[in-house]
Amino acid sequence: MTYRPILAVIEREIVRLFRQKSRLLSAMVRPMIWLFVIGAGFDAMLGQGGGSGGDGASYQYFLVPGVLGMSMLFGAMLAALATVYDKESGVMRMLVVAPFEHYWIVVAKTLSAAIAAAIQAVLVLILLALLGYLSKDLSPPLLVAGIAATSLASASTGMLIAACTKTLDNFAVMMNLVIFPMFFLSGSLYPIQHLPDALRIVAMINPYSYGVDLLKHALPVSGSVNFSTDFSLGLNLAVLLGFSALATAIACARFSRETAYEPLIHMLSRKRGE
Amino acid sequence: MMRDSPALATALAIRARELTKRYGDMLAVDHLNLDVHAGEFFGLLGPNGSGKTSTIHMLSTLIRPTGGTAHIAGHDVSNDGVKVRAAIGVVFQESALDRNLSAAENLRFAGLLYDLPRAEIKRRSDELLALFGLTDRRDKPVASFSGGMRRALDIARGVIHRPQVLFLDEPTIGLDLPNRKKIWRFIENLRAETGMTVFLTTHYLEEASECDRVAFIKSGRIVQSGPPHELVRRLGAFVIEIEADDTDRIAAELAPRLGHAMMDGERICFRFNGDAAQLAALQTEFADRIGALRWRKPNLNDVFLWVNETSADCESPAHTPSRDATLQR
Ligand SMILES: Nc1ncnc2c1ncn2[C@@H]1O[C@H](COP(=O)(O)OP(=O)(O)OP(=O)(O)O)[C@@H](O)[C@H]1O
Ligand SMILES: [Mg+2]
Repeated sequence: MTYRPILAVIEREIVRLFRQKSRLLSAMVRPMIWLFVIGAGFDAMLGQGGGSGGDGASYQYFLVPGVLGMSMLFGAMLAALATVYDKESGVMRMLVVAPFEHYWIVVAKTLSAAIAAAIQAVLVLILLALLGYLSKDLSPPLLVAGIAATSLASASTGMLIAACTKTLDNFAVMMNLVIFPMFFLSGSLYPIQHLPDALRIVAMINPYSYGVDLLKHALPVSGSVNFSTDFSLGLNLAVLLGFSALATAIACARFSRETAYEPLIHMLSRKRGE
Repeated sequence: MMRDSPALATALAIRARELTKRYGDMLAVDHLNLDVHAGEFFGLLGPNGSGKTSTIHMLSTLIRPTGGTAHIAGHDVSNDGVKVRAAIGVVFQESALDRNLSAAENLRFAGLLYDLPRAEIKRRSDELLALFGLTDRRDKPVASFSGGMRRALDIARGVIHRPQVLFLDEPTIGLDLPNRKKIWRFIENLRAETGMTVFLTTHYLEEASECDRVAFIKSGRIVQSGPPHELVRRLGAFVIEIEADDTDRIAAELAPRLGHAMMDGERICFRFNGDAAQLAALQTEFADRIGALRWRKPNLNDVFLWVNETSADCESPAHTPSRDATLQR
């Protein structure tokens, strides 16, 4: 396997991203809804005066890393899950007859989903900058690292699920059972340190929490103690990269094993409507 | 025959020995033995669910055989999947195209998967699009293509890397006659240009008469094989078709003289090796009891009909488009 097939898969994902205008639009709008509806709502409810952070910081600003992360979580997961769910496109058939080991399909798909997610994150970032929501203390290198690592971890989670899923028609289930819980049970909406024990443990198991935390390092809420980060930089990076590697390895193994892809091929080769 | 010479026997494009695929209790492919020579045009014919697609999927390394071995261009499908896939092109029963991409983009995607340089892909896709009459559609999304155009593009996609062996799983299913003819012309041209081995499955038996050799598969077993003209010749000199109200009685009455009767819809069919005088006598004898009596040369459809009836474990009659329906379309 050389680089061309991987580039082909990535190129196709990017072409699709910009061709599916509604996908791109909802990727832009979704984070903004959280920022303006939930963020502004909380601030209003808790009284803008003192700031809901209790030390003068606005909850809306606390949400910025979370909504940036959200664009990647959704962008990467939807792209990765589409691998299995996109029955209409015969692309999987092209991929499985191509002359490379089948685990390369997982690698290429993971990379392309991560890149699609990173592109969406950059667009959301530009939108946030234009609206004046980017922290003055932002750290460009950490932001780059945060976007790269969070996109990759989200994409490998998506591919792991895609590789382990045999039925092709419960997209909405995945959305509700995986993507939303990962979002809610991370540090996106509240600092993990303030969560009750059970929720805090779940959040600490959720690899996505470490992505959000890394983004919090990159986009600190100026002067707020309560809205500070939960984990160290090193831990965040180690968990994200370690998890990505592990998830991708398991997905590769699953996808290479006959039982994992044979039902898929069977389904792909059935005539529609039969 | 040249094919049987020892030198050429080593140049096997496809070689399967006792190839078996089991799904639970179901034997989808049952100890299949198959030799297809390099450059040969081979047809695997059989009713729905007889194991054609399972066979193609095993030969193209997409599913693992439960038993037996198969080699493509000398590479083992079980241990050397990548090399096998590099040597073959597969046109699936279902389209393998990205509907959101244009014709040219699909071919480029496919070409890149085979690690072809971009300039080469551009050259070959222009060539293939021209060959398949799609040049003016190159930048249109596949979603806007008709079934025929989509099939043509799918075949172009399957051959962009110039495979040694091309698998075609019912390439003309669902297409009208002009489109089917077009597809066959493309394949004919491709074969003439590249000499590639073609392994075909189809329901339309008229199309299979172009094959160098065909095999009939039934419940996963090959029940008969050979060159189409040979099989047709072996069947008999003529086929007699009789239309009557009381088909069962007439069939029973004629059985001692003409052998086992085949029911093809409303008609009774017999194989017949006698001469015109005998036929005339028969016609006079039954004149007032039958609606029509015709005789004609047999074709592959008849071979298929008799293969299905005479092979032991008959299930439902083959899904073969009735002769008239197919011919008139
Ligand atoms: N993944 C699978 N699981 C269970 N049974 C299967 C699977 N794939 C195929 N079969 C069964 O194996 C048999 C052969 O199927 P196959 O698709 O090879 O037939 P076919 O000759 O291609 O039929 P068709 O003309 O309809 O395409 C069928 O009875 C089918 O139901
Ligand atoms: Mg089939």
